[in-house]
Amino acid sequence: MEQLALGERRVYPVGAFNRRLAGYLARVRDIWVEGEVSELRRSPAWATVFLTLKDPETGASLPATMARRSFDVLTPTPAEGERVQAMGRLQLYEVRGELSFRITAVERVGAGDHAQALERLRRALAEEGLFAAERKRRLPRFPRAVGLLTGVEAAARGDVVAAITTRYPAVRVVVAETRVQGPTAPVSIVRTLSSLATCDGVDVIILARGGGSFEDLLPFSDERVVRAVASCPVPIVSAVGHEQDEPLCDLAADVRAATPTAAARLVVPDLDELRAGLERSRQRISAAGGRVLERDRARLARSREQLVVAPGLLVERRRAALDRSGVRLQALSPRATLARGYAIVRAGGAVVRDARAVAVGEAIDVELASGGVEARVEEVRP
Amino acid sequence: MSEPSFEELQRELDELVARLERGDVPLDEALALWERGRELYRACAERLDRAELRVEELRLGERHLEGDSAAQDG
Repeated sequence: MEQLALGERRVYPVGAFNRRLAGYLARVRDIWVEGEVSELRRSPAWATVFLTLKDPETGASLPATMARRSFDVLTPTPAEGERVQAMGRLQLYEVRGELSFRITAVERVGAGDHAQALERLRRALAEEGLFAAERKRRLPRFPRAVGLLTGVEAAARGDVVAAITTRYPAVRVVVAETRVQGPTAPVSIVRTLSSLATCDGVDVIILARGGGSFEDLLPFSDERVVRAVASCPVPIVSAVGHEQDEPLCDLAADVRAATPTAAARLVVPDLDELRAGLERSRQRISAAGGRVLERDRARLARSREQLVVAPGLLVERRRAALDRSGVRLQALSPRATLARGYAIVRAGGAVVRDARAVAVGEAIDVELASGGVEARVEEVRP
Repeated sequence: MSEPSFEELQRELDELVARLERGDVPLDEALALWERGRELYRACAERLDRAELRVEELRLGERHLEGDSAAQDG
């Protein structure tokens, strides 16, 4: 019973109507529709991915679906806010009479244009010298505060703050959240960066943004953002996206880090390492001091030794000299001469050297080595 | 009048010996010189003995000092 004829009127039951409508709609195929992806719902439990294509100008929307298998193999998978051209056919969910656009193929709008524009900008800025190695500044060794520019509610934020304060608890972390995606992101990033840079005590800034699609990271290649990074008065560590993404702000930053946590390790010293280094220095200093002290002590000991020995040596030398004089004196002793058998003859107290000095009969005094004799001259032999 | 120094005494002794060695000194004078020489020698030797004793004392004192500083270091 497909339809009832009640007079002029042809009436369909809902089920039949929907089926017929579905049949009509199925004939419309391979249509291209352009719009922004929104309300994207994908679950590994569902065979279908649900989304809405929106017209950003008028706000008109079109519910759409796509087989999850087809959706998942897209690289990168479409994300919310992305402008796409979708090819598909119209489909009616008969039970509810709901119309949807069944997508069979998706192409990004302007993805190729973006890449080309980005490359042109990269060349221009490089030529300008914005990425030059000599522009890179050294990061401060002991920053008073670290500025962390991150997306709103970014997952990495807690990790980065923890990584910084664990290594170096003395530092303050100033977290500034900003829109990192969408058309207003560049302006928001530039404004947040400038307020961070003027924040009291902020000596270094980390730009942190987790991985994302090419389009997600586009704001970090925006010329305004890149210029703001290059001209920022405070050194910047850029940790945006993954290694291979290389957004332009990475090139303009002073240092690039592979991940936000790696950036944390770059901006602050490790307190434990600092302590260990300090201890090593202290030991070296005290060892050096010890060596100097030891050298001086040894020198003092030598001096004291000399001091002790010197007077002794002096006495020794004097005694040797005196002994030589003594020996000579002893050799000259008149008594020693007498001991050899000589005698001293005196007449009237005077030593007699000449026989003619005495007369026969005169008394003379003879002195011997031992004792003496009184005698008289019996003969003179001049 | 201060006591002559060791060096002065030694010098006098050496000069005296040198005069005696020249042999032109009259015997009586030589005897007197010799006596004087013996006195000088004895005086010098005594001075040296005293000096040696003093050095020895100082050395002992030094050893005491070392002992003290070792005790402090320990």
